[in-house]
Amino acid sequence: MKIRAIVLFGTVAAVCLVLLTLQMRGNTAGASDVLAVVTTPIQSALARVNRTTVGVWSTYREWKNVRAENHRLREEAQRLRVEALTVSETVEENQRLRRLLALKEAMPLATLSGEIIAREWGGWVRSLTVNRGRADHVARLTAVIAPAGLIGRVVDVRPGASIVQVLTDPASTVGVVVVRTRTQGIVEGEPRGTLRLKYMARDGSGIQVGDLVVTSGGGGLFPRGIPVGRVRVIDDRGSALFHYAQLTPAVDFARIDEVLLIVGEGAHDVAALFPGSGD
Amino acid sequence: MRTFVAVAVFGGGIAHATLGPALRIADVAPDIPLIVVVLLALRRGPEFGCGAGFAAGLLQDAASGGLLGVQALTKAIIGFGIGALGGRLRVSQPLVQVPGLVLLTIAEGLARFSLLKLFRFPAPFGELMTYVVLPQALYNGFLGAALGLALAWAESTRTRTS
Repeated sequence: MKIRAIVLFGTVAAVCLVLLTLQMRGNTAGASDVLAVVTTPIQSALARVNRTTVGVWSTYREWKNVRAENHRLREEAQRLRVEALTVSETVEENQRLRRLLALKEAMPLATLSGEIIAREWGGWVRSLTVNRGRADHVARLTAVIAPAGLIGRVVDVRPGASIVQVLTDPASTVGVVVVRTRTQGIVEGEPRGTLRLKYMARDGSGIQVGDLVVTSGGGGLFPRGIPVGRVRVIDDRGSALFHYAQLTPAVDFARIDEVLLIVGEGAHDVAALFPGSGD
Repeated sequence: MRTFVAVAVFGGGIAHATLGPALRIADVAPDIPLIVVVLLALRRGPEFGCGAGFAAGLLQDAASGGLLGVQALTKAIIGFGIGALGGRLRVSQPLVQVPGLVLLTIAEGLARFSLLKLFRFPAPFGELMTYVVLPQALYNGFLGAALGLALAWAESTRTRTS
């Protein structure tokens, strides 16, 4: 093997290890910013292309259902269907944005709306990229929500975008409370994309399947009362000290397109803004 | 050809986070940059494989918000290793390509887990292997073999027409 290849490999390995070491010491902004200048505009463009392609594909599938009709009617049906699809897509988007706007207006904290331009869904990292960044005064650890509940927190802020760590990320933890029983616990993400409620005191917990779990507000990172999920399965470990449970997330992270970033500070209870949080 | 290679490495690294979720089957997404790196390393040798792996991995790290350098290093290792061994392996058959890519994905997963463990990655090994690495390895195996066949077909068509 050529010496040049080995030298190149050694250099690459050394660069990676230096990068990793610098990040563990907190010196990451420079390198990630330089890369973000390249990646963010391309991600935005690709997200637009992706949405257009998915839209065209959906339209094509709808069209397949009217093939049996005669030529004139089919042409007419296709024309009407395309129009209807455009209208229904617009109406759906309108409804989504109205819900987001209603939440934004009712929220006692300053918020910033954002659009998702990329998703990392591999299992190692579960994150969303939002088109709001340092230029919009987004800070690290900013809470990110949707009308249905909590999405996660900002873990990296770049010039034109922010990376949001989703609740189902394996490194994500959130302090929560079960609304019906007021039992405190911690929700963690799991590699399989589910949520796990841990460390609920066994005595007097009495949780049931379907119970709503909301943020506890402890630590000051998230406002109190934002829905996190509902209990799906209770994991009873006999005489163990703590109760465990699997949760169904309140938000469908794979389908969310618009989000709100809570940029204001202060300990607030926002349970009243989410239907069902005051069970 | 050089432009195509540059677009494949550069675009693959960034497009993974944006377009990858569209290819999900039962919440499993393929690691397209890894497949691209393996295919390029087999054709162009260890130097190119190492460089392509580093570039694609670094862009993936940047796009996903993970630690910069983790995937850059693991993919550079895979690209270098496959480029170095490629001449001695017969990898033109799908029966070799599928298990080969499955094993490479598992190897990359193990290398990534070991590296991340040094930086206090909290996820348990068993769950990661069961729910993330193994399903993705299978997906990569079949998708990579299909891409390899498509590439071979395109090359043979080009040779015939020229």
